[in-house]
Amino acid sequence: MHKGTAQVSNQWQRELKDVIRGASGGFLFGIPLLYTMEVWWIGSTASPLRMLIALVATFVTLVLLNRTAGFRRAQGIQLVDAAMDAVEALAIGIICTTVVLILLREVRWESGIGEALGKIIFESIPFSLGVAVANQILSARSDDSQGAGTQAPVGQQPDIGKLNATLADIGATVIGAIFIAFNIAPTDEIPMLAAAVSPPWLLAISLTSLLISYAIVFVAEFADQQSRKQQRGIFQQPLSETIASYLVSLVMALGMLWFFQQLSASDPWHMWLSYTILLGLPATVGGAAGRLAV
Amino acid sequence: MTGAATTGRPNEKQQERERTFAEWVTFGVATLVLLGVLGLIIYDWRALPSSPAMLEVQRVGQAERAGEQYLVHFKVSNSGGETVGTVQVVAELRRGGEVITAGEQQIDFLSPGESEEGAFLFKDDPDHAELELRVASYTLP
Repeated sequence: MHKGTAQVSNQWQRELKDVIRGASGGFLFGIPLLYTMEVWWIGSTASPLRMLIALVATFVTLVLLNRTAGFRRAQGIQLVDAAMDAVEALAIGIICTTVVLILLREVRWESGIGEALGKIIFESIPFSLGVAVANQILSARSDDSQGAGTQAPVGQQPDIGKLNATLADIGATVIGAIFIAFNIAPTDEIPMLAAAVSPPWLLAISLTSLLISYAIVFVAEFADQQSRKQQRGIFQQPLSETIASYLVSLVMALGMLWFFQQLSASDPWHMWLSYTILLGLPATVGGAAGRLAV
Repeated sequence: MTGAATTGRPNEKQQERERTFAEWVTFGVATLVLLGVLGLIIYDWRALPSSPAMLEVQRVGQAERAGEQYLVHFKVSNSGGETVGTVQVVAELRRGGEVITAGEQQIDFLSPGESEEGAFLFKDDPDHAELELRVASYTLP
C-alpha cells in the first residue's frame, strides 16, 4: 500500500516535470516572438478563419514534431500519443502566452475577444513548437551525465573550486542572456511595453522572471540538470542561484539597453527601471538556459 | 486501473506507452483549454457583425488644466465588424463658427469591439468654446 501511494505521488511529480519541461522549452523558443509587435498586430487583425487555420496547421506540425522530439521522457510513441501530446503542447503554449501577454499588458479587458484571441493564438504557435522540441533543446550532454565526476578533483581545493564554479556560472548566465536579449534590446518593443506597464505590473513581471528561471534550471530536468546539482560555488543553492542569476541578467539587460542607446543619462530613473525589468524577462530565460548549456 | 498500470510492469514501456492517471488529467485539462479557445473563435465569428467599421469618438470627463494648457481626454471605439488601421482622430475648437485650435491623433489599429484612449491639449479653455471630435479617416489593412 505504501509503495502504491509513493508511486502515485511519483507519477504526479513526473507529470509536473514533463509539463514544466515543455513550458521551459516553449519559453526558450517563444520569448523573442512574444516581444515582437508585428506578431501582436498580425494577431489583432487576423480573422477567425485565419485563426482556425493557424491552429490546425500548428497542430499537424506538433504531431510530427512529437513523434521525434516531444517534451515527455517516454519511449515508444505511437501516432495517438503524438496527437495527444500535441493537444497538450498547444494548451501549454496558449496558457503560457496568455499569462505573458497579460503581464506585458498586450491582452486586457478593453481589447475585445477577437484581438485577444488573435494575439494569443499567433504567439502560442512558436511557443508550442518550443514545447514540442523541449527534449531536444539543451540535450547535447544528455549521455555523459556522469561527466560531473570530472569536477571532483576541484573539490580538494574548495575555495578555488568555488570561485571557479561561480565565475563559470556567471559567465554562462551572461552568454545566455546576451544570446536571447540581444535581439530584443535595440527594438522598439521595450519602450512601447514600458509605456503601458505600471509599477504593480513591473513587480509581477520580475516575480514571473524568477519563477521561469527557477523552473528552467531546477524543475525541468533538462539534460545537464544532474550535474547542476553537484555544481559547487556560491550559486549552489537553487534559491540563491535563481536570485543571483536574475540580478546578473538584469545587469546584462541594462548594459544592452545602454549599448543600443535606448537609455541615456538624462532619462528618469523609473524609465531605467521599467526598461531593465522588461528586458530582464527574456534575459533571464536566456541566462537560465545558458547555465544548463555551458 | 491506473494503479495496476503503474505498479504492474514499470519496465515494459518500450512496446506501448501506458498513460498514467496524471497524464490523463493533463490531457483532459489541455483538451478543455483547446476546446475553450476553439469555442471562443467560433463565438467571435458568429458574433461578428458583417458590417464595415463603425468608429465613434467620445469625450471622457471634463477638461483639466495641465500647466499652461487644457487637457481633454477622448475614447475612440469601433463597434463595426471590421478591423481598421491608422485611425485619424481630429479635434477642432471653434468660437463663433471659426476654428481657433485644431489637433489630430493617429491610432495604429482598432479591431471590432476595441477602444483606445488618448488626450488633446488646447491653449484655450474648451469649456468656453465649441469642441468637435471626429474620426477623419482610416485605412483597411
